[in-house]
Amino acid sequence: MSSPAGAPIRLEAVDLGYTYAGATPTRALETLSLAVRDTEFLAVLGPVGCGKTTLLRILAGFLRPTTGSVRRDGAAVEGTSLQIGYVFQEDAVFPWMTVRDNVEFGLVARGADPAARRAVSDELIGLIGLSAFVSAYPKDLSAGMSKMVEVARVLATDPSILLLDEPFGALDAQTRARMQDELARLWERRRKTVVFVTHDAEEAIYLADRIVVLSSRPGRVRADFPVQLPRPRSQEARFSADFSALKRRVWEALG
Amino acid sequence: MNGTAPALRTRATRAVLSLGVMAVVYGLAAEAGRGRLPDRVWLGTHYVENVQLLPPYRSLAEEGTFLVESGILTGSIAVSAGRVLLGFVLGAAAGILVGLWTGRRARAEYLAGPWVTFLQFTPALALLPLYVLWFGYGEISKVLLIATNVAVVALLGAHQGVRSVPRVYLDAASALGAGERLTFRKIVLPAALPHIFASLRIALGLAWVTIVVAELIDAQMPSLGYLLTLAGAYPRVPTMVIGIGTIGALVLAFDLLAMGLHVRATRWMRRAA
Amino acid sequence: MLGSASLAALVLAYTAISNAHVFRPEVVPPAQEIAVAFTELVVGTRPPPVTEDQQHAAHHHHHSSDHVGTLLQQGVTLQASLAITAARVLFGLLVGAPLGILLGILMGWSRRADDYLHPMYVLLRSVPPLALITYVMLWLGHGEAHRLIPIVYAVAATMVIPAYHGARDVAFTYLVAARALGAPRWLLIRKVLVPAASPAILGGFRYAVAIAWMTAVGAEMLMSENGMGNLIVGGGLWASRSQTKADPAVVMVGILALAAAGWAMDALARSAAARLTRWAR
Repeated sequence: MSSPAGAPIRLEAVDLGYTYAGATPTRALETLSLAVRDTEFLAVLGPVGCGKTTLLRILAGFLRPTTGSVRRDGAAVEGTSLQIGYVFQEDAVFPWMTVRDNVEFGLVARGADPAARRAVSDELIGLIGLSAFVSAYPKDLSAGMSKMVEVARVLATDPSILLLDEPFGALDAQTRARMQDELARLWERRRKTVVFVTHDAEEAIYLADRIVVLSSRPGRVRADFPVQLPRPRSQEARFSADFSALKRRVWEALG
Repeated sequence: MNGTAPALRTRATRAVLSLGVMAVVYGLAAEAGRGRLPDRVWLGTHYVENVQLLPPYRSLAEEGTFLVESGILTGSIAVSAGRVLLGFVLGAAAGILVGLWTGRRARAEYLAGPWVTFLQFTPALALLPLYVLWFGYGEISKVLLIATNVAVVALLGAHQGVRSVPRVYLDAASALGAGERLTFRKIVLPAALPHIFASLRIALGLAWVTIVVAELIDAQMPSLGYLLTLAGAYPRVPTMVIGIGTIGALVLAFDLLAMGLHVRATRWMRRAA
Repeated sequence: MLGSASLAALVLAYTAISNAHVFRPEVVPPAQEIAVAFTELVVGTRPPPVTEDQQHAAHHHHHSSDHVGTLLQQGVTLQASLAITAARVLFGLLVGAPLGILLGILMGWSRRADDYLHPMYVLLRSVPPLALITYVMLWLGHGEAHRLIPIVYAVAATMVIPAYHGARDVAFTYLVAARALGAPRWLLIRKVLVPAASPAILGGFRYAVAIAWMTAVGAEMLMSENGMGNLIVGGGLWASRSQTKADPAVVMVGILALAAAGWAMDALARSAAARLTRWAR
């Protein structure tokens, strides 16, 4: 069930442009406009190097746009916010902390007391199925498990917006399918606003309510259409006719 | 590769084996050189007779027994080890603190820069007269000389450690709402620890190596450094070899300790082997 | 900008303090004396005292002019000495660094090699340069080799540790990924391990630079007729080094010049390291 059309706009990019300074300046984004509604699951799809990560970082507040503007809940974005949880493409789980310490980090930053932290981390670690690994270090986890720890860490402070940058890119097909299901399940339970960046068309269609396709560098919006597959979605859905039709649509949009 | 490391016993046996091989090689070389090596050397102004360039084990044993029984060796070890440890602890503490500071704040780097450069490239031997002038002719100068060398290395290690924290960890921490202090305590410091430990290992070796120079100040026995200097001046090679061997053994012991600490403190790291 | 400002402030402060007669001039040589010694050593000659003041000064600083005088008599200039020491340092770095790095990578890569080589490495590197120099001198007499060997030795010994840690602490994922792609061992080492360890190695190079300078000057102080060490000590060969008759102003000039040269080399090493590891961001 996708978000109703009338839901408030959480994130908005208007005529966004970004140029990377350097020896040869690169224009990563060009006149990009995008609106993300509350509780919507938006997938941003595009070929490698099209600026999707840049877009996400701007939405998060890590980068300032060179041209255009970006707004969060109506106000201009000034740096990161506790409303936003960001899951990185690279391995960002803190290797010197156990799984539990990682998950509790955001709460520690907030000054929550140990009992409260433990309750939250217990629940989330259970949710991602890693209860047996609470005191393990990331080096003892597989890449997929590590990534889920990151997701749990981000969820611990209960942000209402989740930004994920190709989180499952480094995983094999089976693990990735499982992680996608986990994410979908989490989202169904908690109803966050999600912007999910990927270059994998199937992943985008499988997870999202709505897909935005970016062109190759400099990135612009090439297509923007809803995904009206019924939820909850199972792996079987990948083989339905509607799914294939959407895949074709994406293919054409990618050009 | 990761996972089951060979048992401690295997590693210890290998170490002992390699030391044994070294000992055998030395013994063979010494025996081989007995008839053939020259036994008078030119010291720049005069010749000295009866010098054993590669003393065989017999001479070493004789010399060693003498040094131990007279208490010279044990006394020297105690005194010198004390100075090294004190200098090391002082220098490491100072160096790490300043290094953490300059790594974090660019402004600090400018302020501290000239001082660090001043001390960094000056050999202990050159600083020695200055230290004697400034701090007098006693224990303080010796310990401070060692501490200076240690501090320079530790500073570099801490500075580089702080500077090399991967960006993604800092971004993740800030996205989770961590402030300056929490980020420093829980992110920067742990990430910098491997660098700091590596630099401390170098500094430890350096501290011992500096003791010989430091103990030229107000040189008197018991003192491992002075023992070596005296041995070099005569020259009395068996004492030199024993002195160098003793320092080597001490460094080995400390180094093993440091490595153990390093591995323990960074047991969260993925290792190649 | 801030750097040069703080440097200028330092110079001013020193001039003020050294002239304020708070400390004895032997302890804290006045800034002017340092400047004078500096110019004399750069120019290579000493202008004869012309005015009465200068004649008075020549008498007053009689003992200290001996140091500079001796040096000038031997044709020593600051630039030449610096160049000579720098050449020795470079030799030591070029020869010693690869040796140390190879050993360190070997020990970091193979646990077995580490177990066998580690004790030997520690014993060898714990030989104090002074003792080493003396020992080498007994064997080889006086020659360039006995100055260069300790430098190479010290550099190699220093580079082993960063290379070792760089190789050992390499991101495991890189190696696993490369292995999974079926890379043979040599390729693994060359194309994955070495680049991954290179930030640590390049960072460690800065230690080697510092230690190379220290060892070079130390060796020169003991037995060399040229180079910065010789300049600081005042010329002449081995004598009892625990009492020095050196002019503190000259010592300061030497130390400052060394600091400047060393800093320059360190800055080079730093920027090279930054450029070569741009990918590590």
